[in-house]
Amino acid sequence: MSPERTDLVITGLGLVLPCGDGLGPARASLASGQPCFADLPETLGLGRGAACTAFNPTGIIPPMQLRRLDRASRFAWVAAHQAFLDAGLDPKSDTLGAGERIAVAVGTLTGGSEASEAFMRPYLQRGPEGASPMVFPNCVANAASGHLALAFGLKGPSATFVDRENAAFTALEQAGRWLHAGLADAALVLGTDGLFPLLLDICRGARLLSRHGDPVPGSNQGFLPGEGAQAFLLETRSSAEARGAHPRATLRGLACRSTPGPGEAERAGALAQAALTLGDRVVARRIGGSNGLRRLDALESQLAKAHPQWPAAVHPKALWGEFGGSGGQLLAAALLEPAEQVLVSAPASSGAQFAALLEGVRLDRP
Amino acid sequence: MTRSRVVVTGLGIVSSLALDREGTWSAMLAGRDGLDRLTRLHLPAEPAQIAGQVALEPTRHQTLCDRMALRALDEALDGLRPEGDPARIGVFQGAGTSGLPIAEAYLEDRLAGRRGQATGPAYQSPCTVTDALADRLGATGPRGTIMNACSSSLLALGQAWERLAAGELDLALAGGAESLCRTTYAGFSSLKAVDARKCRPFSRDRAGLNLGEGAVQILLEPLERARARGATIYAEVLGYGASMDAHHPTAPHPEGEGAARALAMALRVGGLEPSGVDLVSAHGTATPANDGAECRAIRRALGAAAEAVSVTSTKSQFGHTLGAAGAFGAGTAILALRDQVVSPTLRLDDPDPACDLDCTPLSAKERRIRAALVNAFAFGGNNVSLLLARWEGS
Repeated sequence: MSPERTDLVITGLGLVLPCGDGLGPARASLASGQPCFADLPETLGLGRGAACTAFNPTGIIPPMQLRRLDRASRFAWVAAHQAFLDAGLDPKSDTLGAGERIAVAVGTLTGGSEASEAFMRPYLQRGPEGASPMVFPNCVANAASGHLALAFGLKGPSATFVDRENAAFTALEQAGRWLHAGLADAALVLGTDGLFPLLLDICRGARLLSRHGDPVPGSNQGFLPGEGAQAFLLETRSSAEARGAHPRATLRGLACRSTPGPGEAERAGALAQAALTLGDRVVARRIGGSNGLRRLDALESQLAKAHPQWPAAVHPKALWGEFGGSGGQLLAAALLEPAEQVLVSAPASSGAQFAALLEGVRLDRP
Repeated sequence: MTRSRVVVTGLGIVSSLALDREGTWSAMLAGRDGLDRLTRLHLPAEPAQIAGQVALEPTRHQTLCDRMALRALDEALDGLRPEGDPARIGVFQGAGTSGLPIAEAYLEDRLAGRRGQATGPAYQSPCTVTDALADRLGATGPRGTIMNACSSSLLALGQAWERLAAGELDLALAGGAESLCRTTYAGFSSLKAVDARKCRPFSRDRAGLNLGEGAVQILLEPLERARARGATIYAEVLGYGASMDAHHPTAPHPEGEGAARALAMALRVGGLEPSGVDLVSAHGTATPANDGAECRAIRRALGAAAEAVSVTSTKSQFGHTLGAAGAFGAGTAILALRDQVVSPTLRLDDPDPACDLDCTPLSAKERRIRAALVNAFAFGGNNVSLLLARWEGS
């Protein structure tokens, strides 16, 4: 998305985070700087992580549906519900063609994986008798978007991206493209991830997890996992104004640069280029994607060194864990304090590095 | 907003019929299928033992998906070494199982009390295919890994078209790769969606799909750039449409309502009247629910023009390649546009009256093909249609 095509606004925000559901707990958590890590319940995996223990879908997800949903889809449903409320939009009304003009773009790393483990564990132990046809449909990463479509009557274009730490940014980019092309009037953008035992096991086996306390950005000691969902209702400014909506922020720019190979210097350069693409602006706040893992910390560190005039970054992953929305948590943090300009840098262990610029962030709306 | 015209200048196919494009295409036109007794996986308790399998194996450092995708890329490039700004080259992939076989092996190890090879997150993440392809291309532009189940790679093609049409890229690679794995095999089997015989799309006695594997990679460029370098042009991409059913987690809308909207959107975006379409490369899974709903969707979107279109299902030859299925449909439609011949729907000797279109039974059919719609529909009610046009040098 080029910087000059930026008449996109965020009109709704919904949050399911380890600190609690909704904007209030998120603001308090970010302000306190207290990490949400604790020993995980055995059902989610062994070790420490930031689980959404306070998550409560009662009254939002009907009990029959709740039983059928994987964890990431449950989080997504509740976050989407909040975002539509926040935006003052009933997706099933005729305002946007009874859902036909609303798109869905989801970013996730773990979507489908929890169900895959739940499906395969009994299958490997007992053979076909252990395979549950109820569980299998959730093994696809786009299960969450399908559930959202059913729940809210969304019938526009849909895409689910799986790009490790910053898949939600890819989703945001695609949503903006659909809006610019006139294929939708509004887009529900989500980052969503859920914890499950095999994820913890693999991350531990690959020596990615912090083994000495909570993760510290820049420490290179490793991260701890987290979960949750963040929903953003994205609209063109004209569409939002036409229905009388008051934006929470303007998406002034979103840039991605990638690099061949896993070289640290090249990736740092790609992240710097992405940020540079957004222009030489006065940055009032900065949100960073550092998570305690060397390969992400190094990229953030080099970006900070290149821009000593920028304020120190806030690192939400140190509070809420990694993958907990695959970048959605960074965007959410950017929307939780008022500011004229907020730069979000999203380094990733895959090739693509993102940066986003939000403008005119406001908390209270008429 | 003015849009650049976008053309296909490279195509690579690795399939269960052959490890290259022309071998695959000639086998399709000859009416051969790539379905055979399952040997990739050892699943003796599964009632269905038919699959489309590629004659390649994974290596120590490459998943089968990566290996097939890179091979298809090399064929698509056909010796081309992309020049210019690498930041204006993008890679968009539809992923299905990707590294899932590694995750399965890891879980199996852990269940057996073994340590397991946690080389892992790197190889298990579906975006590794995208990164591997981008690295081979030297691309530093945007990358996207879409996991929209069976519509993944067709949407990836749509993404590539969007970027090129908007003038943001000089070159884009799009496609998908899928390898057989136990999760999908057992999953579709548990849903009773797999036919123990060879599948028979649009047939009265169709009973389900067969699973398959393979990769298709498609190189796309702005027309002016392709002309400037004297590239072979296979076809033009006119646009795409996408929609959700909001109907059921796995079943399509019985009247094809959402699918029809995707088809109509593709025509609208591409600026083509229904009467300009001669071929529909159908999703055509051979499941009882899909084929009838898809035919109704085609009728809804094309109206009277549906009577004149040829419909075909590549699933009768490759099986259902899931995340790569859309790319298989697009790749073979591109060749159909080039050669003006429709590949057959095999084993369609007793058509279902509910599938009352010309579904190209049994043998290939030469005909004029000006434009083709390619369908890919997925779990979650995701529908994608891509609109392609014959390239006639103007």
